[in-house]
Amino acid sequence: MSATFLKVANLSDLAEGGRLSVEVEGRAVLVFRLGGDVFAVEDVCTHDGQPLTDGELVNGEIECPRHGARFDIKTGRAMCMPAVEPVKVFPVRISGGDIEIDQASVN
Amino acid sequence: MTTSAATTTGFGAEAFQAFLATRNEPGWVSDLRRASFGLYQESLGRPLNPEEWKRVDLRAFQANRFSVGGRATTTPATRMGTLLGNHPTTCEAGFAGAVAHVDGVVVDSHLAAELTAKGVLFGDLNELLRTHGDILKPHLMTRAVKPGVDRMSAWHAAFWTGGTVLYVPRNVVIDQPLYSLIGLATPQTMDGSHTLVILEEGAQATLLEETASATTTDAGLHVGSVELLVGKRANLRYVQLQNWNQQTWHFAHQAGLVEQDGSLQWTVGGIGSRLAHIHQEVFLDGKGARGEVNGVTFATDRQTLSYYTQQTHRSPNTTSDLLYKDVLRDEARVIWRGMIRVDQAAQKTDGYQRNDSLLLSPDCRADSIPGLEIEADDVRCTHGATAGRVDADQIFYCMARGMSRYEAMHMIVEGFFHGIYDRIAVEAVRQTLSRAVEVKLGIGQ
Amino acid sequence: MATDITEASPKTSDEDVGIGEYMYGFSDPTDKYVFKSRKGLDRDIVAQISEMKGEPDWMREFRLKALDIFFKKPMPNWGGDMSHLDFQDIFYYVKASANQEKSWEDVPDDIRKTYDRLGIPEAEKKYLAGVKAQYESEVVYGSLHEDLAKQGVIFTDTDSAMRDHPELFREYFGTVIPSADNKFAALNSAVWSGGSFIYVPKGVHIDFPLQAYFRINSENMGQFERTLIIVDEGASVHYVEGCTAPTYSSDSLHSAVVEIIVKRNARCRYTTIQNWSSNVYNLVTKRAMAYGNSLMEWVDGNLGSQLTMKYPAIYLMEPGARGETLSIAFASKGQHQDAGAKMVHCAPNTYSRIISKSISKAGGRSSYRGLVKVVNGATGCKSNVVCDALILDDASRSDTYPYIEIDEDDVTVEHEASVSKIGEEQLFYLMSRGLTEAEASAMIVTGFIEPLVKELPMEYAVEMNRLIELQMEGSVG
Repeated sequence: MSATFLKVANLSDLAEGGRLSVEVEGRAVLVFRLGGDVFAVEDVCTHDGQPLTDGELVNGEIECPRHGARFDIKTGRAMCMPAVEPVKVFPVRISGGDIEIDQASVN
Repeated sequence: MTTSAATTTGFGAEAFQAFLATRNEPGWVSDLRRASFGLYQESLGRPLNPEEWKRVDLRAFQANRFSVGGRATTTPATRMGTLLGNHPTTCEAGFAGAVAHVDGVVVDSHLAAELTAKGVLFGDLNELLRTHGDILKPHLMTRAVKPGVDRMSAWHAAFWTGGTVLYVPRNVVIDQPLYSLIGLATPQTMDGSHTLVILEEGAQATLLEETASATTTDAGLHVGSVELLVGKRANLRYVQLQNWNQQTWHFAHQAGLVEQDGSLQWTVGGIGSRLAHIHQEVFLDGKGARGEVNGVTFATDRQTLSYYTQQTHRSPNTTSDLLYKDVLRDEARVIWRGMIRVDQAAQKTDGYQRNDSLLLSPDCRADSIPGLEIEADDVRCTHGATAGRVDADQIFYCMARGMSRYEAMHMIVEGFFHGIYDRIAVEAVRQTLSRAVEVKLGIGQ
Repeated sequence: MATDITEASPKTSDEDVGIGEYMYGFSDPTDKYVFKSRKGLDRDIVAQISEMKGEPDWMREFRLKALDIFFKKPMPNWGGDMSHLDFQDIFYYVKASANQEKSWEDVPDDIRKTYDRLGIPEAEKKYLAGVKAQYESEVVYGSLHEDLAKQGVIFTDTDSAMRDHPELFREYFGTVIPSADNKFAALNSAVWSGGSFIYVPKGVHIDFPLQAYFRINSENMGQFERTLIIVDEGASVHYVEGCTAPTYSSDSLHSAVVEIIVKRNARCRYTTIQNWSSNVYNLVTKRAMAYGNSLMEWVDGNLGSQLTMKYPAIYLMEPGARGETLSIAFASKGQHQDAGAKMVHCAPNTYSRIISKSISKAGGRSSYRGLVKVVNGATGCKSNVVCDALILDDASRSDTYPYIEIDEDDVTVEHEASVSKIGEEQLFYLMSRGLTEAEASAMIVTGFIEPLVKELPMEYAVEMNRLIELQMEGSVG
């Protein structure tokens, strides 16, 4: 499947260490800006199926606000119980002043 | 195609007032709407019950992109992609009567003359409230689905657009089924159908209802309600086949209430919609009441179908029997959360619930959550749930007999649903569900 | 009262029992205690516990962070009624004696007598490979067969393990159940004290059970033991815990965290006979991670407490892992047993089985709450769940809430549950054979749980049957 990067937000709307909730192809996606790079994960904890939106970001890991599961935002890997499955990650890039997500990967 | 440019989108106070101004209805009906709108607004300040909603991801749903229907439509019912297929105007022979609604407006309604003569009412809720308000008022949103139950029931009670009414007087038996169609044609329209069925003591009837869309691409919204009031010794068979396109959101609050020695057989077909959440309750209110619920669902692509069912036994010697059979494919998700409640007074209850899921691909997901809450001691309540996939040996066997993979799959899915088909005595429904399976499997299109 | 039942349980005739049907409701004086924190919970109390224990900084930080999480998390809006549970009306750390002893002779008299009455030293002589006796917040007595110690088995209290085996401890502590897992796991992480630490080295089989006995003595006591069990590859262990408390009119709180790691080809069985007095809230988090071809078993008997919320979990992490939970709950007057089991299939070809039997009587409520989850990719899994509930009268209640989440097609998951009352034909038959109604009911209940009880070692099976019979006494007729 060929990648089709589409803009989801302005880079200027996302401060270093911050996050944005966006909707891509009907999926809730959480975009992070960390160390000058951007990352996108599906905004759903694989442990309980509910949003990660307000979880703490510690050392590049998003912590589920309900049960403490943690996911590496680069790889999606589950880093801490009670999650065991990775969260989906989506290819994302900075293009000029825009943050773009590969829509094809989302669908 | 009509244009919705003049309408106010969303469901705020302004939209409500504009909607109310278009209604031609008795004052008490408008009062009920106003009170319900108040409840709806209050409910927006509270979260939805997490036990019912937490598995249903509504983040992509934006109510303010939709406008309430019920004004006008130029789309005939024949444009709908129905599965019961034979549109009522072309198959009157099979039905004792038919009603069709498009975008919340009735477009067709008729009933066999001999039934009208017996006092049967069948037609559009708006019209029948004007002509027979005295009969309907005691039942409308007062017994089975009250506006204040939750956000969805309040939303519906404020903005309901129309719907099908069936009223069968005492001891009147209707042999042929009746048909009701709920259609959506105009993009971004909200259908707020209210189905109201009242069977007086000893009455009998069968109502087949279907929801359908005119296109496969236009977004739609249904905020509906079904009330089934089954009197003493009455016998109702009700089928609702949800067959919206995959761009439609479907929220429904549905309840059946069965009085002494009455019997309700309720069949739910879940085929369409982008996301559906149905709150379905059966109240066994009178001694000896019986309720049977059959669910057949087939979810594909990224569909989410969610059922929250309750079987509530309030009187002694009552029986409930629920069976949901779910087939899933692709990234679809089906959630079934069922509960049997037995009040302390409901001794000698016999309650049963079962949910079987057939998973056709590795990325689909089935959540099955049966439940029992029992406060009487002299009862028999059981539930069961199974999940599994198509047995590879079965497919191999079928293919060895010369079938294609699709045909084999079809046969296996049909076999899986067979237990339910056997319970549904209405031939048209069995055929329709069977066709739905074919369509989903991509056969014979 | 049924006479032949009391014959089978001589202790009920013991004069100083005397508190209804519960025979462990006695208490000891508390005036000789070494330390008792003030009531309530805040950062100072947590820091004080850490300081009393002379802990490393990281643990102190761990505790304080957990306390923040505890305060932040809402109370669960499901399960039992906790509206009367007042976290500020509880003693979080109470130390009854100065040291943990290796000989019962050295344990302070009152405490030793209590354990004598509970029959622990006697059991130890007969059939146990090791014992830990926790009294209030600390372990007051510990033993382990010498040959096991020589083989490298560690069986110690968790505080000592942190000191004496810091690397092993830190590798696993809090990895199975993070502080943020739930409100009560956070509470335990903040104020934990005592509990068992077990390490069974590769290939070592422990033939006799290791037993821990938890005793609450004070009023308004909070007991927060923390247990960590690591069964290394090819090893096996059976751990048994029992617990009792005096009967007070005010509430006590028991909130344990139990973490278990069962490595490849290892086996672990964890048996609980929970018999807290009816003023204890028992809110416990237990979870095991089972690796390739291992077997984890929970045998969970819940007879006491006013409210128990406990759902022992097994995460089946690698192919071939098996999990089995046998759960018995008995809810009598004023009791709510909200118990169950969780099985999470994280790897292909893993197997689980849950058998639950619950009994409700005299207004008691028993709930089965469970989860079977199969994650995407865990193909070829099989799970079977059977729950049976018996309701003995119309004042009592039974609930069943099994959650099933399947994210994979190649699986077989089955769940069945039924709720029924004692069959009248059965009662009639037994009574026609000369049994009183009470005796007949007791016999039927005993038969109902028999499939589970037979899984227990003989001594515990006898104990379990005796406790069930006590619960049944005076219940009918």
